[in-house]
Amino acid sequence: MKLRTTKYIVKEGFINTYRNLLMSLASVGVVTASMIILGVFLVIALNLSYNTQKLKEQPQIQVFCEPELDDEQIRTIEKSIKNDSRVKKYTYVSKQEALKKAKEMLGDDQDVVEGLGDDFMPVSFIVELNNLKESQNVVSAFKSIQGVGNVRYSQERIDFILNIATWVQVGNLALIIILLAVAMFIISNTIKLTVFARRKEINIMKYIGATDWFIRWPFIVEGVIIGLAGAAIGFVAISIVYGILWGKVAEGVNIFSLVSLGEIQFNVTYTFVLVGIGIGAIGSTISIRKYLQV
Amino acid sequence: MVEFRSVTKEYSNGTVALNDINLNLDKGEFAFIVGHSGSGKSTMLKLILKEEDPTAGEVFVNGYNVSALKRKEIPYLRRSLGVVFQDFRLLPNKTVYENVAFAMQITEALPREIRRQVPMSLALVGLSKKANVYPGQLSGGEQQRVALARALVNNPALLIADEPTGNLDPETSWEIMKLLSEVNYRGTTVIVATHEKNIVDSMKKRVIAIDKGVIVRDQEKGQYEDEVKNYKVYS
Ligand SMILES: Nc1ncnc2c1ncn2[C@@H]1O[C@H](COP(=O)(O)OP(=O)(O)OP(=O)(O)O)[C@@H](O)[C@H]1O
Ligand SMILES: [Mg+2]
Repeated sequence: MKLRTTKYIVKEGFINTYRNLLMSLASVGVVTASMIILGVFLVIALNLSYNTQKLKEQPQIQVFCEPELDDEQIRTIEKSIKNDSRVKKYTYVSKQEALKKAKEMLGDDQDVVEGLGDDFMPVSFIVELNNLKESQNVVSAFKSIQGVGNVRYSQERIDFILNIATWVQVGNLALIIILLAVAMFIISNTIKLTVFARRKEINIMKYIGATDWFIRWPFIVEGVIIGLAGAAIGFVAISIVYGILWGKVAEGVNIFSLVSLGEIQFNVTYTFVLVGIGIGAIGSTISIRKYLQV
Repeated sequence: MVEFRSVTKEYSNGTVALNDINLNLDKGEFAFIVGHSGSGKSTMLKLILKEEDPTAGEVFVNGYNVSALKRKEIPYLRRSLGVVFQDFRLLPNKTVYENVAFAMQITEALPREIRRQVPMSLALVGLSKKANVYPGQLSGGEQQRVALARALVNNPALLIADEPTGNLDPETSWEIMKLLSEVNYRGTTVIVATHEKNIVDSMKKRVIAIDKGVIVRDQEKGQYEDEVKNYKVYS
């Protein structure tokens, strides 16, 4: 396509959007509403997966050695953990660290352990697995290692995380697909009105030898303008509301933490730009198809 | 220039609009197509434009085998022709100048060429002064002249007009027909489907008469009606 044709097409797209100002504004309103709904889902999805990720990253399995083991025996245990292919990484917790943690936990009642050496504290390993689903097997394997006193691990918690992670992935995908389809349907219907109002012009263009693409492009530009305008307004709305929400939540301490506004904006921006262009373009292509058959 | 070879057109509802038509038009000719309403005149022109496809037979236009043309090639066939319709078919949101220029824009013509050709075309139809007016502000005759300027701006070898004066008063009709004749004089082949008996009779051009989808008369310097037939009818 030649540059002058591109210029013509873009200019024509803007002129048409302006010429049908009321209709364009109505369409922008519809897109904005769809974008806000999409944005809400996106924000929920991002926060859920962020929190799931955080939960996952917390140590789940802690292997305690018997307190009376000597260094050599502890190294043997460490080796079997290290060599287990299911283990992603592990951390060594020394007796001193264990005592320090215990003191921290006791807080004001530290004097209970005052004077006690760290000798009675067990050495332990905090283990992270490659795949949480293997927890059950790994735990029983560790329990049977010579010199291991106890393995602490919470089945319910791991199962819970696994459930949420799966649910979030599947649920979000489904919701977003449905939402995109709905938004596209609405936009294509709105642009259908524009196309319908101008069907005679399309017809005339065909008669004097315009190619389908030459006719189609200005409508696509129009659809993209509407899509992007709706996306921009939706973006501002989502940003403001999320900003307020984030401020409120960040004040209190919570087990559930929110993704930062910046990260939300980044994700919302590129999603909205892609979706805005996508639904605008596909929507107008669908609605003009019928009128090109001359 | 234009050739119909054993062309039959049956519409999907079963109407046979053209029945085994054979026709040959040479370069530079001027031909009227006449016939009663529903005789198949517009259908012939639609086949030339590939708005419709023949049920049987072949149509050749400007070196294109129209019946074998792919959908993607249709715009190029249409650019090689000029078309004028009864209802003008101008773009209402573009000025006279823009309407004419548009026919060149779609061919991706150079802006320099457009600035040169459009005023020439408007001058030819005598509308230079109305270049910046919108079609809605023009009389029917003026609108038809804009349509004619648009049809001619790409210098087509063939001009097709389907009842170009159908919506115009007799005097304006004459002006349009004279313009068509002038265009033909400059070398463009012209085909006009019309009901204008007086004009056909006095212009003494080739007349192709069609009745119920069949060519019943093809006459150089012909008349709108067959005199012998008239005699029989009125005797
Ligand atoms: N799209 C269509 N579908 C079905 N039948 C059609 C269609 N177009 C035309 N016809 C029929 O084909 C026949 C020829 O129509 P056509 O339009 O060619 O006539 P015409 O000579 O141009 O008439 P007029 O002088 O009134 O314009 C008519 O019987 C008409 O009803
Ligand atoms: Mg007709």
